[in-house]
Amino acid sequence: MLVVMHRDATQDQIDEVCKFIKEMGLSSHPIPGTQRVAIGITGNKEMVDTNRIEGFDGVINLIHVTQPYKLTSREMKPESTVINVGDVKVGGKDIVVIAGPCAVESREQTTEIAKAISTMGANMLRGGAFKPRTSPYSFQGLGEEGLKILVEAREKTGLPIVSEALDTDNFDLVEKYVDVIQIGARNMQNFSLLRKAGQSKKPVLLKRGMSATIKEFVLAAEYIMSERNYNVILCERGIRTFSDHTRFTLDISSIPELRRITHLPIIVDPSHASGRRDMVLPLSRAAIAAGADGIIVEVHPDPAKALSDGPQSLTIEMFEKLMQKLEIIAKSIERNIQ
Amino acid sequence: MIITMSVDASNKEIERVIEKVKGFGYNTKLFQGEKKTVIHVWGVTDKERLMKRIEPLPGVEKLIPILHPFKLASREFHPEDTVVSIDGRSIGEKEITVIAGPCAVESEENLLEIAAIIKEAGAKFLRGGVFKPRTSPYSFQGLGEKGLEILARARERTGLLIVTEVLSEIDVPLVSQYVDIFQIGTRNMQNFPLLKTVGRFKNPVLLKRGMSATMEEWLMSAEYILSEGNPNVILCERGIRTFEKYTRNTLDISAVPVINHFSHLPLFIDPSHAAGDWRYVSALAKAGIAAGADGLLLEVHTDPTVALSDGKQSLKPKNFNQLMKEIKKIAEATGRTV
Repeated sequence: MLVVMHRDATQDQIDEVCKFIKEMGLSSHPIPGTQRVAIGITGNKEMVDTNRIEGFDGVINLIHVTQPYKLTSREMKPESTVINVGDVKVGGKDIVVIAGPCAVESREQTTEIAKAISTMGANMLRGGAFKPRTSPYSFQGLGEEGLKILVEAREKTGLPIVSEALDTDNFDLVEKYVDVIQIGARNMQNFSLLRKAGQSKKPVLLKRGMSATIKEFVLAAEYIMSERNYNVILCERGIRTFSDHTRFTLDISSIPELRRITHLPIIVDPSHASGRRDMVLPLSRAAIAAGADGIIVEVHPDPAKALSDGPQSLTIEMFEKLMQKLEIIAKSIERNIQ
Repeated sequence: MIITMSVDASNKEIERVIEKVKGFGYNTKLFQGEKKTVIHVWGVTDKERLMKRIEPLPGVEKLIPILHPFKLASREFHPEDTVVSIDGRSIGEKEITVIAGPCAVESEENLLEIAAIIKEAGAKFLRGGVFKPRTSPYSFQGLGEKGLEILARARERTGLLIVTEVLSEIDVPLVSQYVDIFQIGTRNMQNFPLLKTVGRFKNPVLLKRGMSATMEEWLMSAEYILSEGNPNVILCERGIRTFEKYTRNTLDISAVPVINHFSHLPLFIDPSHAAGDWRYVSALAKAGIAAGADGLLLEVHTDPTVALSDGKQSLKPKNFNQLMKEIKKIAEATGRTV
């Protein structure tokens, strides 16, 4: 249910409606728009009794949201959400490039990559400190030490940092250091982790589960938003199919589909989708042409020696070339790289 | 298998090698470069025996086995991109080719109207089905030969070249008289008698990927056509079957760089069938071109609501015109033209 407030509605009137919603045992979510505020109602098992809300001052209309996802839906919030991460705007007119190593391996490696990508125009630095590896015997990440290295790289370059929180136990630790908390594909339906992320004040980059439908993906974002963290960035990273020439199959049509049904920013991870560095450029171009708000790519100065995901990491030279090509494709659809 | 002859090999030596290979019952093709002569051999069943016999012959420099099961379709065999030339038009060169038209030919009046619109917008080829592979035997099955006559008249009137699907090997000679390019549909990708039959005709063949075919199976189907002597095969990615149901199929965008890597054949994208929804066609078409596809196959209908098949995925003329303009910009951004 969406309560549409009059464009002249006062803050007191909005607060009154929210208070009443709370008294009904439901949750209210004020959504500021350019012209007016709307208030989303969640938590109702049945239809909300509209008569009682319609009587409040400042209320002009009530709209039933037909989809199972509410706060994420464009029905509830027609304007696209722009998320501020420092000076970087995710979901605005311009395109965001997040780059960095799969895993933080050492101070030298991370600093080298951060400095290089920063001069080439990347907007954020990614790097895993807690790694969800398929095998328990593979390198599991440097943990807190890795987060500290990322913070040092941020101090040197000014790039905001993105890193994955793997479980509720280490969530607070990751949150303390990073600017954007990543929830990985394998955790897309880890509901306790999603709720925890929903209680954070920091933006969340939510990756699509490798066999999640669009609806399941959006409902996972709904979990985070229902806890009042409205800053969720969606990330398409490839789905599992029979087609075995790439690690996963990039679902490029998820971009227009998500764009239609939600207002959240959408970025694409061509590195994990393909698992092959020679495909990162064409898939990044395709993603931007299809309307994505950004890309997240893996870069390593010496991919052959990377502790994880070497085959899909770009070299620094390849990343530079990628940035030049993306600038051109972005311009062709009247966008820029930030 | 590729046999390279030494620089000073005499004609007699070359002839002797070819004779020997033919003695095994294998096919050969001679490529005489400025310095070196190369002999392509295909249909090899006993590689070791062939190598043992040919390697010691005078004039032979070396034998290079092709590692992939597809030979004529592979880039190893044919490093340069194949350009399909037909009636003064080229497919697979710098210029992006657009094939557009209705899913099915419904009437002469309707087809001529659509043909004029797409020509005006810059399309060079007209598509339209007259033999329709419909999921249900009770759905409209196409106009048959009458439809072919209508297509031929549309070509006379507009100068557009004609692409239509051929469903059975029995129809191949008839269809060949009327149309320029044969289309082999997704459901027939492994109809081997049909593949062999079109391989013996001169018309270029647009080969759609089977909806659950791997890259290798797809290229092996192309190999069937090539091995019969028809070198003009155009591949077309049209979406694969996945668990995702928001779109009719899932466009496998990574097929573009993969095919470009492994094969020299031109590659098209069919965003209409991939999406099954006209609202997503534009994003997917742009993504296809951005990823490096050579052309697009698009469904256009003047009034999709009354179309006899696939109305939901057909673009209206207005949207088609808009898309052509957008594609032009994307093409330029990737160093190509429309």
